[in-house]
Amino acid sequence: MTNGTEKSAAAGAPAPAASRARTEFARLISYIVFGLGSVYLSLRAGELPTSRWEPLGAGSFPQLVFAVLAVLCLITAVRAIIDIRKAGRLDGLLEGLCGWLKMRRFSFALFGLLVVYLGVLPIAGFSLATFVFLLITQLMIAGISKKTVIQSVIAALIFSVGLNLLFAEVFNVFLPRGMLFAG
Amino acid sequence: MLDAFLAGAHQVFAFDTLIYMLIGSVAGIVAAAIPGFTVTMAIILTLPLTFTMGPLQGVSVMLSVYVGGYTGGLISAALLGIPGTPSSVATTFDAFPMARGGEPGRALSLGVWSSFFGTIISTIILIVAAPPLALIAVKLGPWEYFSLIVFALTIVASLVGNSLMRGLIAGVIGLGLATIGPDPMMGRPRLTFESDILMPGLPFLIVLIGIFAISQLMGEVEDHGKSDSKGALIPDVIEFKTWAVMREVLMHPVNLVRSSLIGVFIGALPGAGGSIANLLAYDQAKRSSKKPEEFGKGTPDGVIASEAGNSATAGGGLIPMIALGIPGSAVDAILMAALMVHGISVGPRLIMDNADLAYGMFVAMVVASLMMLVVCVLSMRLFLRVTDIPKQFIVPTVMICCVIGAFALNNRVTDLYLLGAIGLVGYGLKSLDYPLAPLVLGVILGPIAETNLRRALMSDADWTVFFTRPISAVLLAAALLSVIFSVRSVLKMRKKDRPATDEQDGD
Repeated sequence: MTNGTEKSAAAGAPAPAASRARTEFARLISYIVFGLGSVYLSLRAGELPTSRWEPLGAGSFPQLVFAVLAVLCLITAVRAIIDIRKAGRLDGLLEGLCGWLKMRRFSFALFGLLVVYLGVLPIAGFSLATFVFLLITQLMIAGISKKTVIQSVIAALIFSVGLNLLFAEVFNVFLPRGMLFAG
Repeated sequence: MLDAFLAGAHQVFAFDTLIYMLIGSVAGIVAAAIPGFTVTMAIILTLPLTFTMGPLQGVSVMLSVYVGGYTGGLISAALLGIPGTPSSVATTFDAFPMARGGEPGRALSLGVWSSFFGTIISTIILIVAAPPLALIAVKLGPWEYFSLIVFALTIVASLVGNSLMRGLIAGVIGLGLATIGPDPMMGRPRLTFESDILMPGLPFLIVLIGIFAISQLMGEVEDHGKSDSKGALIPDVIEFKTWAVMREVLMHPVNLVRSSLIGVFIGALPGAGGSIANLLAYDQAKRSSKKPEEFGKGTPDGVIASEAGNSATAGGGLIPMIALGIPGSAVDAILMAALMVHGISVGPRLIMDNADLAYGMFVAMVVASLMMLVVCVLSMRLFLRVTDIPKQFIVPTVMICCVIGAFALNNRVTDLYLLGAIGLVGYGLKSLDYPLAPLVLGVILGPIAETNLRRALMSDADWTVFFTRPISAVLLAAALLSVIFSVRSVLKMRKKDRPATDEQDGD
């Protein structure tokens, strides 16, 4: 029994190191993206004209902030490279990325639906766009069955038409009517 | 004084005033529980409804919305991990893990009782110490304000979680995001790339909703196949012991009083409010705790500090308003406007000329906090029903509430595109284990820091003034000590964790 445990432990030993290296690699990409972005933004902020009325112009503060961000990213990126080298292996990077995306496919689908919803909102108006968005997302999360369809239609109606009425009548907040219904 | 007090109390205890206050209290709690709606928005919506009332009746109703609103934010913070208002950001750190750990009733009760005691303590201080505290607050110049913000920024170090560097990066990203849009002194557009969406800047609330709410909701549907996605967000059986929790809150008197005092002081500073007070109170509670490693995992101390801190700003904000006619926050400015509509000028003569009104406001604060407590205790079971609602309904519906909240802020559809983009960035940062609280702190404090720095240098270009003015020097020294202390405790925690990690990795 002890042997078995040791064996499985030995077989599994490289996995955490490889996984740590993969996570650190993903973070390294983020440090590079933020670092390069902040260098660019710092330079753009530096181009802003100086002020005649004050020692610091409109560009000084953002220039300083983004320069600090660039330095922080550089230091952290160097440390990440050292950590990746220490962990020793970066194998299974593509599989790791696929696994990461697969685990989060519903999150990204939800976000995709949100983007489409926000794009359609000014055209279709709040009630219609919200009804469709709520219906699709609820069915995506719960799965399609007779019960979930009925529940989702009722909930979508309440929170699309109902919320629109509540905000318009009670709070005097008018949600987008939509170009389709504007005329 | 006693006559004025009794006259004020007589007006507040009128039946119709109490009924209106009760409605206001419920409205404040519900409005703040919706992510994206703030106490300020709730007060603005209430203002026109009070025009037909008498001055004290109108202000009492608005105060009950105010007090209810500071507590309402904790409901979504504790149950969904989404701060209902900016002043409940720190509440999510411990109340949400506590709720997820099977104690949502305890998390809510702790928040409600802490808010109640925080408001009461702040009202007592308001009555006793309004004039001297207001005088201190008014004497602070841009140098002291900048140093105070530097001190507040050092909180970042204690909110970073596992990685100090990632926390600092997140904090500086927040400062950077705050620089997009018109500059706070001259209004010159900065880093907008001539885009209509970026031209007005990134509204703080949009960043807050995007970073905390959208990313949290995206996280809820992660790993759909493995987890019970049709189930409720908090599936465990709920235990609900209101009175036992009250005793639990009172068992932490030092934390409660310290957090309330921080809330009062921050509330008394014009421009600073509950959003800073809850983070600062949380930070101080963590620093002075014997078990700082338990913070962020559902410790009652974290909930008490955050909620007592933000609720105490309600009383604190009234100090400079009543004593000097300077509003402590946007909400106080609206309260002032309400009094001005009734022909009452707010300032040093308020207590002399309208003593019954001033003392009536103190009484109304106490009544409003009692009402908030009763409403919350009675409706807690109703709020907890939220935890029984399956994810399929709650995730998309809360997302719609976020969209409405973001839209209602400025009635701009372009704000919604920003919301989506910031939500995705927040989700990415969360996935890579960046702490999100420092980012939000950076966005809150960035514009205040820049404005005061530039204002200070405009009146005197010499940088050494920051070190020669006594209060400013003390605040900067406190900031330095705070950084040293934080780095030391992070290194200590890392050293403590290292043997366990090494053992786990087998190297």
